[in-house]
Amino acid sequence: MASIKIKTEVTGSVWKIEARAGQRLAPGATIMILESMKMEIPVIAEDGGTLVELHVAEGESVNEGQVVATLTG
Amino acid sequence: MNRQQRLEAEFAAQETKARAMGGAEKLARRKAAGMLNARERLQRLCDPGSFIESGLFATSTSNPADRDSTPCDGKVVGFGRVNGREAAVLANDFTVLGASSGATNGRKIAHMKRVATQRGLPMVFLGESSGARMPDHMGSRGMGMLLGNDGTQYQRMRETPWASATLGLSYGSSSWYAVLSEFNVMRKGAVLAVSSPLLASLAIKQDVDPQEMGGWRVHAEVTGFADLIVDTDEEAIDALKVFLSYLPSHHREAPPVAAVPAGSGEGMRDILGLMPESRTQVYDVRKLVRTIVDRDSFFELKARFGKVGVTGLARLGGRTVGIVANNPLSRGGAMDADACEKLTSFIVLCDSFNIPLVLLVDTPGFVIGTEAERQRAPGKIMNMMNALALTTVPKLSVILRKSYGQAYLNMGGGRNSDEVAAWPTAEVSFMDPTFAVKVVHGIDPGLPGFDKEFAEMDRASSVWDFASVYAAQAVIRPQETRDYLIRMLEVHRLRLSDGVGRHLMRAWPTSF
Repeated sequence: MASIKIKTEVTGSVWKIEARAGQRLAPGATIMILESMKMEIPVIAEDGGTLVELHVAEGESVNEGQVVATLTG
Repeated sequence: MNRQQRLEAEFAAQETKARAMGGAEKLARRKAAGMLNARERLQRLCDPGSFIESGLFATSTSNPADRDSTPCDGKVVGFGRVNGREAAVLANDFTVLGASSGATNGRKIAHMKRVATQRGLPMVFLGESSGARMPDHMGSRGMGMLLGNDGTQYQRMRETPWASATLGLSYGSSSWYAVLSEFNVMRKGAVLAVSSPLLASLAIKQDVDPQEMGGWRVHAEVTGFADLIVDTDEEAIDALKVFLSYLPSHHREAPPVAAVPAGSGEGMRDILGLMPESRTQVYDVRKLVRTIVDRDSFFELKARFGKVGVTGLARLGGRTVGIVANNPLSRGGAMDADACEKLTSFIVLCDSFNIPLVLLVDTPGFVIGTEAERQRAPGKIMNMMNALALTTVPKLSVILRKSYGQAYLNMGGGRNSDEVAAWPTAEVSFMDPTFAVKVVHGIDPGLPGFDKEFAEMDRASSVWDFASVYAAQAVIRPQETRDYLIRMLEVHRLRLSDGVGRHLMRAWPTSF
């Protein structure tokens, strides 16, 4: 089981978390939505997998490239 | 035996030896690993019975002892028909000295490229090679004899399309031809790198993981050298055929025209539903692209690289087009350096092979800030702008939603397209109204007066003001987009030159 680190593409803040630990995510599923540049930008599980851990909470600031979740493939 | 029979027997014996590749044992090991061998790959690529080999009896000549053990000198080349069209094809045979580059196979490749260029045939590379043959290349005599004696070896003037598959360990020439090609499909498990992990480990004195160094993820997401990732040899070869189906055989002809599949345009009635009502919400522009173009014709390139820019070949009314779109799903559509490079290389591909461009615009501008500058954003933005300005194929742009600042120009605004159309949802301005209120009036969101100034700025971004100064030649209903584009492609067809552009970027670098 490969561990997949999900990184943000943008600097912003966590607006809403949509998935929970242990959840099985389909490819393309939304893990959380960030607020950045006045836009709601989803963080996506591109290849799908099981969500092992969330590393951020709602309201928290995140930097571009920060690991926000870990999945297993 | 009479004379005829003697010749037949001799021919058969020579032919069997020449077709043996690296021997039964090596071939069996490959099969067990799920990999096709060089001849099976060619069989998959070429129409049945159409492959005519060049240099079947060529062998390594550097070392006389190699002569009997190097069938085809490790590279099987020839001419085959791919979907009915003649092409020059090259399959590396890794079972013969790792398909390493030697004197004889160098001459075979040179011949294929020469014929392809002079006669207008696409060139296909099935890559898997270990690099320069050792010890043949060692020493000053080896270097002097074997390398650099063909000054056009790595010259790329885009006379004919090159398509490459990276199917195994690819070092040296297989990597060079992959990045020189218009299209490179990579099989998972393959490695594309300058040199082998062994050599890299020796040079930097630490272990090098081949996948970390040049595996599919690296080239799909970091370098952009892989246009498409697949799981098997068969899928890779099929992808080469699909890619070539959109392209002309050479730069002096227009791309082939295909039949329009039934059901094309079916989803147009509901296309607006694919875009959220709120301007702060994102969507996947690829869903709109698939709805607009001929059914199942969207062939996306570099899907995992510079994702905020979408590039792909498609057909509209049976004619090949190049789709360039912003994808709000990634970064809200704010263009970064990777996206600029991806779009630039795609614009060069389309212009070089007479493929009209369709730009679908929804971008709040370029990513700005410290990191963007360190990624050399100004240079990338201007390279893309220059490429668009040098384009001589028809360019049609449709502003779906946002078009802001310099990105307005980079995405075909003004006279950077032949026609600019806009949806009623379009908003065009220099910067997002939220930021403009702060810059112009010094008011932050939530403070008194913000809402009034925002409303004023927002209204001034409307499509109707834009159309009133003829900056858009048309405001179109979303559901009419497909028909509008098909008609405008017809209006702008390059009649005076039989569909052929001027190729001002034919010598543009092939990677970035």
